[in-house]
Amino acid sequence: MRLVLALGLALLGPLVWGGDINPQRAQFNYQMSCQGCHAPDGSGANAVPRMRDQVGIFLASGAGREYLVRVPGSAVSALSDADLAEVLNWIVQEFAGASVTVPFEPYTPQEVGALRQHPLNEVMAYRAQLLADIASAK
Amino acid sequence: MKLLDKLFEQQTRQLAQHSSRRGILKGLGTLLVGAGTIPLLPVARAAAADTPARPVEEGDEASCDYWRYCAIDGFLCSCCGGTKNTCPPGTEMSPVTWIGTCRNPADGRNYVISYNDCCGKSSCGACLCQRDEGDRPPYRPDKTNDINWCLGTASAAYHCSTAIVVGVAFEEK
Repeated sequence: MRLVLALGLALLGPLVWGGDINPQRAQFNYQMSCQGCHAPDGSGANAVPRMRDQVGIFLASGAGREYLVRVPGSAVSALSDADLAEVLNWIVQEFAGASVTVPFEPYTPQEVGALRQHPLNEVMAYRAQLLADIASAK
Repeated sequence: MKLLDKLFEQQTRQLAQHSSRRGILKGLGTLLVGAGTIPLLPVARAAAADTPARPVEEGDEASCDYWRYCAIDGFLCSCCGGTKNTCPPGTEMSPVTWIGTCRNPADGRNYVISYNDCCGKSSCGACLCQRDEGDRPPYRPDKTNDINWCLGTASAAYHCSTAIVVGVAFEEK
């Protein structure tokens, strides 16, 4: 049923369906664990990456989708797997905008739980390579 | 016939003895005030829960025991020419902040507080306030207030701290 709904929504135009999100809880977790650096509207600051209108770029590749969970701010956050999955889905829904180019399958707690076991160390270099790969694949 | 007369007379007298013209006014008044109060009841507020929180507040914002400062570590901008929400003239508010929750004694609810530092001038030096509730060691960098949060500003010189309400804490029911 959920798949049908996701497909239906994807066919109707919007590429993002965030899954079962409790918006109050998701926003609270965003505020407590992300907003301090990424700003209330996801616009970031100086060296803090901007998520608004950009975060969806990563969803164009499998490694990019995994990156959003393996980045230290996600992977080593104090959030549970379920809360992390929810806040990631909320971020995509709230901030990604037109940067999402492929239908978005919401993160699940299981997927997030497995990926966050492998947090990234050299994030800046990894991120730059990832974005270069995504750009050249277009 | 006499019986009916007597009955009605009795009823009328009883009514006159046990009610008053002012009683009607009192009843109408209660109804009017009551109807006016209904929109103030929690039902309406729950429906408007999405609007940004503007809590009822009490206390002195220039005093360290003010409720919003439960997790602060620094000089209060309220003592430095600014307010709990704004930076003093000549300083720049850092967009990068550390965030915690504080319980508002006026309504018993927990609010999300953003401690945005004001930067660009040397330390204010007035009203040092270190309550540090929920402060974590530096290995939890997003939850430690011992580092300089003047990040993302033109100058990294720390002047004072604000305490801005950015939301209501979510509590599982």
